[in-house]
Amino acid sequence: MEEQRRLEMSKKIMVIDDEKIVVDMAKMALEHDGYVVETFLNGESALARLKEEAFDVVVTDFKMKGIDGMEVLRTVKEQYPKTKVIMITAFANLDTAIEALRGDVFDFFPKPVKIKELKASIERALEQ
Amino acid sequence: MKIEHKILYSYFFNVAFIVLIGLFALHNMNQVLAKLRFVEISDDLNASFLEMRISEKNFLLYKDEKWIANIHENINDSMQAIEATQDDISRVIGAKNLQLIKSYLDEYSTVIDEIDKSGGKNPRLETELRAVGGKLRGFFKNKTQLERQKVNDIISTAKRLLFISFLCILFLAIVLGRVFSKKIVVSLRAIEGLALSIAEGNFSKIEDVKSKDEFGSVILAINRMSKELEDRGEEIIQAKKLASLGVLTAGVAHELINPLNNISMITQNSLELYDYLTKENRLALLNRVAEETKRMEAVVRNLLDFSKTREVKLKEANINDIVRKSVQLMQNTLDLSNIEAKVNLEINLPRVRVDEHQIEQVMVNLIVNATQAMSPGGRLSIETRKGDDDKVYIYVKDTGQGIPPEYLSNIFDPFFSTKSSGTGLGLSVSYGIIKNHKGNIRVESTVGVGTTFTIELPAYGRTKEA
Repeated sequence: MEEQRRLEMSKKIMVIDDEKIVVDMAKMALEHDGYVVETFLNGESALARLKEEAFDVVVTDFKMKGIDGMEVLRTVKEQYPKTKVIMITAFANLDTAIEALRGDVFDFFPKPVKIKELKASIERALEQ
Repeated sequence: MKIEHKILYSYFFNVAFIVLIGLFALHNMNQVLAKLRFVEISDDLNASFLEMRISEKNFLLYKDEKWIANIHENINDSMQAIEATQDDISRVIGAKNLQLIKSYLDEYSTVIDEIDKSGGKNPRLETELRAVGGKLRGFFKNKTQLERQKVNDIISTAKRLLFISFLCILFLAIVLGRVFSKKIVVSLRAIEGLALSIAEGNFSKIEDVKSKDEFGSVILAINRMSKELEDRGEEIIQAKKLASLGVLTAGVAHELINPLNNISMITQNSLELYDYLTKENRLALLNRVAEETKRMEAVVRNLLDFSKTREVKLKEANINDIVRKSVQLMQNTLDLSNIEAKVNLEINLPRVRVDEHQIEQVMVNLIVNATQAMSPGGRLSIETRKGDDDKVYIYVKDTGQGIPPEYLSNIFDPFFSTKSSGTGLGLSVSYGIIKNHKGNIRVESTVGVGTTFTIELPAYGRTKEA
C-alpha cells in the first residue's frame, strides 16, 4: 500500500525562486513526500530545462529578475497545457493575482509560504 | 527712477528737442524770407535812386528844367513804393531807419524844390543836393549789402545748427538705447543667476540692490522668495520624507518579507521533519536561520540610518584624508574580490567643512557598489580634483557591468536596487548625506563599460593643504 502510494507519488515537480533557501526547503519537504523535485534559481534555466522534459507541477516565484513568474506561466501553458503552475509572491497584490489568474494559474500563495498548504495544493493539482 | 519713466522721459526729451529745432528752422526761414523781400524792394528803390541821381547830374550839367520834373517823378515813385512796402522794410531794418530814409528823401525833395525856385544858379544848393543824394543812395546801398550778408549768415548758421542737431539726436538715440539695453541685460543676467542658484537649492541673495527700477523690485521679490524657501527648507525636507513614507513602507515590507519567508520555511521543515534530520542537517538549518536574521537586521539598521534626522557634526577637513581612510577600510574587501584600486589625489586641494564619518560612509557605499558591479580583475579608480568653481570633486569610477539607462534616474531612490542582496538604501543614504553638505552627487554609466559617481562638495575657506 505504502509502496503503491510512493509510485503514484513519483510525479515531477519544478521549483523556481531566486532565493536559494526557498527552493532548498521546498525540495526538502516535497522530496520527503516522495516527489521528484528539480530546483532553479531563475526563469531562464528553468525554461531551458522545460524544453527537454515536461513536469507535472511548476511552483514559481512571481517576481524575479529577467524572466519572471508570469513569463514562466505563459511559456509552460504554451508548451504543456496540462502542467499546473502554482505562483508564490511576496505581495498578495490584487493586480498580480488577477494577472496570474488570467494566465490560468492553478494556485496563488503569498509569502511567508505555509508548506502544508503548498503540499495540499500540489496534491489537488495532481488529482485533476 | 523706474525704467518705464526713464524711457518715457528720454522719449519726451528727444521729441522736445526735435520740435525746438523745427521751430528754430521755421523762424530762420521767416527771417530769410523777410530779408529777401527787403532786398527785392531795396533793389527796386536803388534803381529808382540811381535814375534820380542820373537826372540830378544831367540837370546840373545842362540846367534843363525837364530833369527836375523827372527827379520829382522819381521821388514820388520811390515815396509811394516805400509807403506801400513800409511794413516789410521796417520789419527788416526797423522803423527808425525807415524814418531816416523817408527824411533823406524829404530832404532831397526840399533841396530840389529850392534849386528849382532859385532858377538853378546857386552853387551852395548844388553842393547840398549832391551831398544829400549821395547820403540817400549810400545809406540804401549799405543796408542792402548788410541784409544780403545777414541772409547768408542765417542760412549758413542754420545749416550748421541742423547738422549738429542731427548728430545730437543720433548720439542720444544710440547712447540712451545702449545704456538702457545694457542695464536691462545686466539686471536680467543677475536675476537669471539668482534663479539658477535657487534652482540648485542654494538660497543665495543679491545683497546689494542699488536700482530702484522694476529690476530692483524683481530682485527684492526673488530675495524674499529665496529667504522663504530657505526658512521652509526644513519643512520641505520633512514633507518629502513624509511623501516617501509610502514608498518606504512598501520597500521595507518587501525587503523583510523574503528573509522572513526563508526563516518561516526553515522552521516549518525543521518542525515537520525533525526526526528525519541528522544533527548536521539541523545545525545547517539553524545557521541559515541565523544568516537570514542578520539580513533582516541589516535592513532595519539601514532604515534607521536613513530615517534618523542626523545631527551633522561639521568640521574642517582634508577630503584626501577621508578618501584615503575609506579606501584603507575597504582594502580587505577589494583584495578578496581581486579588485585593483587606483587612487589619484590632487595635492593643494581646498579644505572642506564636512562630517567626516558621513562622507566616509558615502565613500564606503560607493566602493562597495563598485566592487559588487565588477568581476574579479576589475579596476576601481578614485580621484580627487579641485574645480574652477570653488568646489572639490571626488570621482569613483569602476569598470563594472554598468547601469542600464532606464535605471539611472532611480538609483538614488530609497529601496531601489539592482542587486538581489542589496537593501537599496546605500545610494539613497549617500545622496541625503551629500545634499546635507550642500553638495551634489551624480552618476554616469555605460552598460558594459563602467560607472562613474561624481561627488561635488563646496570648498571651505582658502586654506590649502600641504
